[in-house]
This record gives sequence, C-alpha cells and structure tokens, in this order.
Amino acid sequence: MIAVIDVFITVLAAYFGIGVLFGIYFFLAGARRIDPLIEDSKWTVRLLLLPGAIATWIFLLPKLFKNKKQ
Amino acid sequence: MGLNYQTVLWNKHKKVYDKLIVAFMLIYIILFAGLTFAFNGETTIETLIIRAFGTLAVIMLHIILAIGPLSRLNTRFLPLLYNRRHLGVSMFLAAAVHGVFSIIQFHTLGNVNPIYSVFTSNLDYNSLANFPFQVLGFLALIILFFMAATSHDFWLKNLSPKTWKRLHMMVYLAYALIILHVFLGAFQQETSPFTIGFLSIGFVVIAVLHLAAGFKERRTDIAKAEKDEVNWLYVCTVDEIEENRAKIFTVGKERVAVFKYEGKLSAIHNVCKHQGGPLGEGKIVDGCITCPWHGYQYLPGNGQSPPPFTEKVATYELKLAADKIYLNPEAFPEGTEVQPVNC
Repeated sequence: MIAVIDVFITVLAAYFGIGVLFGIYFFLAGARRIDPLIEDSKWTVRLLLLPGAIATWIFLLPKLFKNKKQ
Repeated sequence: MGLNYQTVLWNKHKKVYDKLIVAFMLIYIILFAGLTFAFNGETTIETLIIRAFGTLAVIMLHIILAIGPLSRLNTRFLPLLYNRRHLGVSMFLAAAVHGVFSIIQFHTLGNVNPIYSVFTSNLDYNSLANFPFQVLGFLALIILFFMAATSHDFWLKNLSPKTWKRLHMMVYLAYALIILHVFLGAFQQETSPFTIGFLSIGFVVIAVLHLAAGFKERRTDIAKAEKDEVNWLYVCTVDEIEENRAKIFTVGKERVAVFKYEGKLSAIHNVCKHQGGPLGEGKIVDGCITCPWHGYQYLPGNGQSPPPFTEKVATYELKLAADKIYLNPEAFPEGTEVQPVNC
C-alpha cells in the first residue's frame, strides 16, 4: 500500500508542481496566447484564473502549442 | 455575454444572492459555535472550526445538488440555478477551511509531510469500519478545487464546453466521497446519531429529486408525437404555451423549444451553445430568448445571438392548423432565418 501511496503523492506533487510553473507563465503571457479576449481584460482576471491554470494546465498546453503554430 | 472577461460577473440580482450566501454562512457559523459552547464547553477552537466549516460545506453541497433537479421540476427555482456558480465556490472555500484546519490539527505535529501523513497515518485500507476516512475527504477536496478553480467563463470557452461539463459532473464523485468521509468519520469518532441521521435524510432527498426530475424529462422524451399527412409533428395547442415562454418538445433524440411571443411562434434547438443550458426553460427578454443558466441570448426568428455575438443554434419550421402547432422535424442549419408563425 505504501508503494501505491508513494506513487500517487509523487504524481500529485509533480502535477501541481508543473501546474504552478505553467500558472506563472499563464499569468505573464500564456493567457493572451490561449485566448486573445483576455488582452482587453484587467490583470485581476488573470489572477483569478491562476488556480484554474494550475489545475488544468494539461488541457491548456496542447491549445497553447496549437495557437503558437498558427 | 461579453466581449472581454470580467473578474466577477455581478449584476443587481447576483449581488443580492451573494449577500444572502455570505449571511447564511456567517449565521450558520455563529449558531454552530453558540450551540457547541452551550452543550459542549470543552470543545477547542480548532475542533469547532473543523466541524463548523465541514458541516457547512456538506449542507451547501446538498443545496447545490438540489438546485438542478428542483429547477427542472419547477421553473420558480431557476433564479437559484442562475446563481449556483458563486454558491459552489463558497462551498469549496468552506470545505477548504475544514480540510486545511484538519490537516494542521491532525497531520502537522510529526516530522512527516502533512499530505503524506493524511494517506499514511492510518493504513487500515482493508477495513471498512476503520478505513482512513480522511483520505476520502482529501480526494473530494481536490475535485472541488478543480471545479471552483474553473468556475469562470474563460474556462468554459477554453477547456471546451464538453470537457468543462465533464469536469463539473465530477461533483457527484466528490459527493459520494464526502458521504463516505462523513459516514466513516462519524462511525469512528463519535456516537451521535444526528450526523448519520441528517446525512441519510440529505442523501435520500437528493436521490429522490434527481429521480423525479429524470422521470419528468423521460416522459417528455418518450412521448410519441402525432403526425399529420406530411409527417410534421403535433406539439401542442397555442394556449398550452405561456406568453414569452416555451414548450420543450423532443424530436428523435433532440429537444426543441417552441416559443410564443408577441402573437408569434418560433422554434429553435433547446441547447444553449454556451454551456448546454436548456433554452426552453428560459424566457424571452427584450425580444431575445434568454438562457436560464447564464443569460446567453438568441433571436427567436433565426437562432442567432444578437450582434456582435456569434453563437447560433438550429431553427425549425412551424405551422398552425386551427390552434394546433405542428413542427417540421427536419432542422435547418444553425442560424437559418425562419418566418415566425402568427398565432
């Protein structure tokens, strides 16, 4: 059981660790690349969206690369 | 609807609802504290906070889960549905206070990482009676975090409505985990029958409401429509539809909303492009069909959102025979102009 818990906690920590790094990028520049509408919004919107970016970076990353190619 | 994103989409009504939510939470916490100190004066502040916010979050979750089926059973509950998002975030905050204080009180005293301690302080995973119930609460809190963190239109648009909906349907998994968390915690840590009693009643109410709403919708879906000589489907009589409201009608596997307004009738696909809200449960406001969930609007004659918005839904053709409304089951492409029928 301990082994399963170790793996789970490690995956969880890695997921949220990457999420925090992505969140910083999202706040500074990524949000604009994902959705240009954010350009006309206040910075507080990006701050409010930060927890969501940390939580859902895995869904946003492909969208970011796709938008970059375009 | 908007052309940029707002931090919080407040209007006059939403502000009233939010004040009510805050007042409810404050009154509950004060009452809980008063009753706890009156009947159990030895309770520590930490325990009081853990229990007050934990029970508050459970009550709020029950209210949130009841709003959906109640709105489908009776349109008077729709304003609650419109404001459910802020209630959900408030519920997460209450659950987070409960979770954080529980971890601080029970898992920060040793030299083990507190999160690791949640999973390993009790390794009796094979026992039902002694199962580490804290783990279930922790997992539920993670799900609630994902939901609260994505409670903004930005996420709905950028995660796609389908992914967003799937993510938010996980509230039922969180509810199951919370039910088990409280049941097992109550079994293991206290002998009071009240916790289990109230939770059982809450579970039964939620289950019955969902079943009742499901049966009501199923009745609408399986109702066999009468056809005329050219295979148009009989919907209802004109009098059966209230002014500025709709009758929801099922065509194959799709739901259609037939609206009556200003002496005219129009039919559009029932599903809002924003979040899949039931347009037929909304009403006509300022000449536009207005989704009851988040206020997205469509023109009844062509299913298009008024400019500069670009959302479009499919439209349907109607005809009247005496006072009977008939619908052509073939949908027009999204946004197609259809002449309203005069009634």
